[in-house]
Amino acid sequence: MSDFSRHAPLVTALRRAALEAPALTKPELRQGVAARASGGPVIEAPYDALARQIGEAAHRVTDAQVQAVLTAAGSEKAAFEIIAAAAAGASLLRWDAGTKVLREAIDATT
Amino acid sequence: MRLPEIDKGDGLGKQLLIRFISLASGMRLPDAARVAFYHKAFFKGSMGALTQAAMRGASDWTVGERELMAAMVAKWNACPFCVGAHGAIAAKQMPRRLVDDALEDFEAADLPPGLKATLSFLEILTLRPDDLTAQDASKVLGAGVTGEAVEDAIAVATVFGIITRYANALAFAIPTADEFDRAGAMLLKRGYQ
Repeated sequence: MSDFSRHAPLVTALRRAALEAPALTKPELRQGVAARASGGPVIEAPYDALARQIGEAAHRVTDAQVQAVLTAAGSEKAAFEIIAAAAAGASLLRWDAGTKVLREAIDATT
Repeated sequence: MRLPEIDKGDGLGKQLLIRFISLASGMRLPDAARVAFYHKAFFKGSMGALTQAAMRGASDWTVGERELMAAMVAKWNACPFCVGAHGAIAAKQMPRRLVDDALEDFEAADLPPGLKATLSFLEILTLRPDDLTAQDASKVLGAGVTGEAVEDAIAVATVFGIITRYANALAFAIPTADEFDRAGAMLLKRGYQ
């Protein structure tokens, strides 16, 4: 594996777009949601329950969890941003973990 | 919970587009496509670019193998929509029975050793990322998979770690097997952007 990663720049762009770029919801909130979905600290209700659930087992997300975030966030688009940020946070954790151990394995052989 | 704006489209132009595509294709436009059309100012460009690169970009993996990886991640994340959608696309590139065997038990399926080793790695990555070690990656490399190909597989799992989560949270409607097959043919032809 060369130093160049064909996916890392795209993953970085995705991370920025989902968690840092201006949107209807504040970046700080999306970053907190993403961190919570990847095992991070508790955040404010009702975002905490939905973020944790999306990270751990999204198929068990309840209508009540989404409805509570929809009400708090103020619009469907804002609620969608929260759901996407949680999904991105949980998955980017896996990108980071996977590429880290891959790099370690390659370094161990060179 | 489903969001009505995603269902019907945000804005008249998208509502008409969704209706037109549904009418022209003779089937309800799947929710994954409706989400792709929704709130496009937010993260869609980068998500589309990463998805296209992971699923259709240059790689040692065939398109069918990457679609099978996507279906496997969907299985591990209990996402029936993505299992159906990406299993159907994989089945256009390899025998349907092999796809079904892999979804049932990839260790026992008649898959190449490198792909099996990679799926073992992706299973840990998806279900127990904290348990992942360099030894797990070494096993994949030892099976003859290049570092670039392992990273390609991690990118597929990353994309579908995101999509399966929002598909489940938003309660995507499940198309019929025939509709999955037809939608799969379209995705195979047009890609993800």
